[in-house]
Amino acid sequence: MVTAEHVSERRLSIPNNPITGVLLAIPAYFAGLWLGTLFGLNDDANTGIILGYTFATVAFLIGVGFLNYPLERLFGWRVSPISDPEENRGIGRFFRLSLDHKVIGMQYLVTILIMLLFGGIGAMLIRSSLLSPDSSITPPGQYIMLIGLHSVMMIFITSAVIVGPFGNYLVPLMIGARRMAFPRLEALSFWLVPPAAVILAAAAFWGGFPTGWTGYPPLSEQAGQGMDSYIVGFALIGLALIVSGINMLATIITLRAPGMTWTRLPIFVWGIFTTSILGMLAAPVLAVALVQLAMDRTVQTSFFLSANGGSNYLWQNLFWFFGHPEVYIFILPAFGIIMEIVPHFARKPLWGYRTGVVGLFGVALLSWFVWQHHLFVSGIAPVLRPFYMLSTELISIPTGIIFLVTLGTLWRARVWFTVPMLFCMGFLFNFLIGGISGVYLSDVPTDVTLHGSYFSMAHFHYTIMGGEIFALMAACYYWLPKMTGKMLSATIGRVHFWWMFIAFNSTFFPLFIAGILNMPRRVSSYDPALQGLNTWVTISAYFLFGSMILFAGNVIYSLFFSARPALANPWHARSLEWQLPTPVPAYNFERVPMIVGGPYDYGVPNARPVADLGGLVGVTGGG
Amino acid sequence: MAVRTRGRDVSPGVEALLDARVVSVGVWLFLAADLFFFAGWWFAFFYLRALNNNQAWMIQGLVRPNRGFGTVVLILAVLTALAYFAASRTPGRGSVFRLLAPVSLVLGIAAVLYQGYGMWHLGFGLTDGAYPSVFSGLTGSWLVQLAGAVAWLATVVLQAGARGDTLARPHSATSFGWILLFLAAVGIINYFLLYFVA
Ligand SMILES: [Cu+2]
Repeated sequence: MVTAEHVSERRLSIPNNPITGVLLAIPAYFAGLWLGTLFGLNDDANTGIILGYTFATVAFLIGVGFLNYPLERLFGWRVSPISDPEENRGIGRFFRLSLDHKVIGMQYLVTILIMLLFGGIGAMLIRSSLLSPDSSITPPGQYIMLIGLHSVMMIFITSAVIVGPFGNYLVPLMIGARRMAFPRLEALSFWLVPPAAVILAAAAFWGGFPTGWTGYPPLSEQAGQGMDSYIVGFALIGLALIVSGINMLATIITLRAPGMTWTRLPIFVWGIFTTSILGMLAAPVLAVALVQLAMDRTVQTSFFLSANGGSNYLWQNLFWFFGHPEVYIFILPAFGIIMEIVPHFARKPLWGYRTGVVGLFGVALLSWFVWQHHLFVSGIAPVLRPFYMLSTELISIPTGIIFLVTLGTLWRARVWFTVPMLFCMGFLFNFLIGGISGVYLSDVPTDVTLHGSYFSMAHFHYTIMGGEIFALMAACYYWLPKMTGKMLSATIGRVHFWWMFIAFNSTFFPLFIAGILNMPRRVSSYDPALQGLNTWVTISAYFLFGSMILFAGNVIYSLFFSARPALANPWHARSLEWQLPTPVPAYNFERVPMIVGGPYDYGVPNARPVADLGGLVGVTGGG
Repeated sequence: MAVRTRGRDVSPGVEALLDARVVSVGVWLFLAADLFFFAGWWFAFFYLRALNNNQAWMIQGLVRPNRGFGTVVLILAVLTALAYFAASRTPGRGSVFRLLAPVSLVLGIAAVLYQGYGMWHLGFGLTDGAYPSVFSGLTGSWLVQLAGAVAWLATVVLQAGARGDTLARPHSATSFGWILLFLAAVGIINYFLLYFVA
């Protein structure tokens, strides 16, 4: 029985879908461009371009259907293009605005994997041009454009690659909810991502932007029109982080099933919880910096121009106040994945569950107090250095706790080495190197020489790619059977893991050495003595790219050709999401589940099953 | 909100209670995010003021924005928030809401229009140093948010009829009051920073 619900009586005459969105966005872009010229500012059309991108995004969202609800409220129009998930089970629901968190998760996954392909191609072009120590393959201007596009595209991806697909799909299933708290915000967080990616890619038509992902003024103020893509695209991703954070937190706080106490919450949900706090609070500060940069570039204010009372340190402070929490936005959900998957395959309770949660919160909290470690060589007051050095080093304690929780779970376990588990092991190896190299960069004496070198570049690729992307792979092999109803081939998966693991380390470990030998980042030429090392790295990078192609091949083969249907619980896991049938029903739980046990109570005497799915009548809300 | 859980075992009363909690928590989370947004601006204010690079925080002979003008805008914004907050204690029902919510809407529209007019008549150019930059950026950001809140306020007033959402989900209208109060509080802080501390 459907509860009191206004049935749609009148529909807006335009069909709501992404094609309508694009058709509206194109004239909207030119309208913005035209409006910008009306102001007659001496700004190289930056005003028009920023207005154009903004108008185009708004028009796209209207075309997709986001204006319908406000119109309904304002004029009482019963425009409701969003069909009920129970009725609409066709493939078309993935191509339209959907408020079903499972559909949104899949939309995120596919979109982000496509973006990952482009980001990866950018990386291959960068490595290819480094086959030669001079700038003969790619001229410096084009090289820095590649760096900018690759880096910002990857930042967009890694901001959302776990929370978007897996957070949206799994959090309601894991907490026993039928939906998210704010489905429209959830959908908005997804539909902002494709415009952001397209706007970023549009920078290529304007010659890109020369600043990399950090956007430092004064270079970003002098840069050409490609910089406007950076501003608007990044702002859209920031907005997506805010609305996604609000939705996730509100969902976890308010929609837990009865009996799902805070201490029974799966650790992956804690990872999403902590990362959502960071995203929700850090992205607004980025927004401030981006508004200021946009104003400097358009209406000629002087936030970052020291001759006119501004300061480029203002950007550096605001940007890194966002930027350092941002890197934990990447890694906290990855920690969550690792700590979530390991107990299921170790067949042991998660060792030190509460300590692990404290570790996640410790990282989240400390991340607000470290941002000036990015400014050690910018000329900040030397008295500030020890504080930020110490606060940064302190982060290794909660991070170490998370490692110990994972290792403690593995201790004396009879591990089931499935493909997801292999990727978890790979994560532990890679992130150990990434984390420890980070300690060197947090120390002022070493940072002064290593800053801006390939050492820091190798460090953050070890944490982000070796950490977050390996966790992503673990999550794909672990949860895609639930999400798609098909098992991914374990044989190809094992080849994929070893191939990716070896190629990854072969690519990035030598770059620590290149960094110690003073090879600078973001420069297309380098000391010819390092050519052998770079050629090795480039060839390894090609293999690494190949391993990702193999992964894509495995997904396509397993979903469409081998078509091995997945059991509802192929891993015999205890946690709640695996107790649901595959495919997951439209509203997840036939009845509100009563949670009676913890998700990791493997081998615990008299452990109760995780939930009574028979359900209660009339009871909702958290425990 | 038209999104429901479609529970076969959830009574409408429980559903409404849950919805109230969801909306209330969501509003507080949004306010936390928005606080960081304005804190970023306040940081910019103090940072550039303290640095005073090239003595250009406030260049010599700069015509300050009219303080009386700022006072009027602030009073309008505060009254908007207070009127709505008083109204939202009995959302949709009662003469208090019917009287005060439209009053709040009118005050809110006046605040937005008046501040918008003021933004075109600053008395200084945007290129005149750091203070004009911060003034226009901070006030402009606040204005945009106030305009958005007033637009939502319009939907709340329009939905106050018999079949409307305000009556169906009174807790949503109540929670919204906090957003207007928050923006008014930010307006007060901005007012002191931009017109007095600067
Ligand atoms: Cu950092």
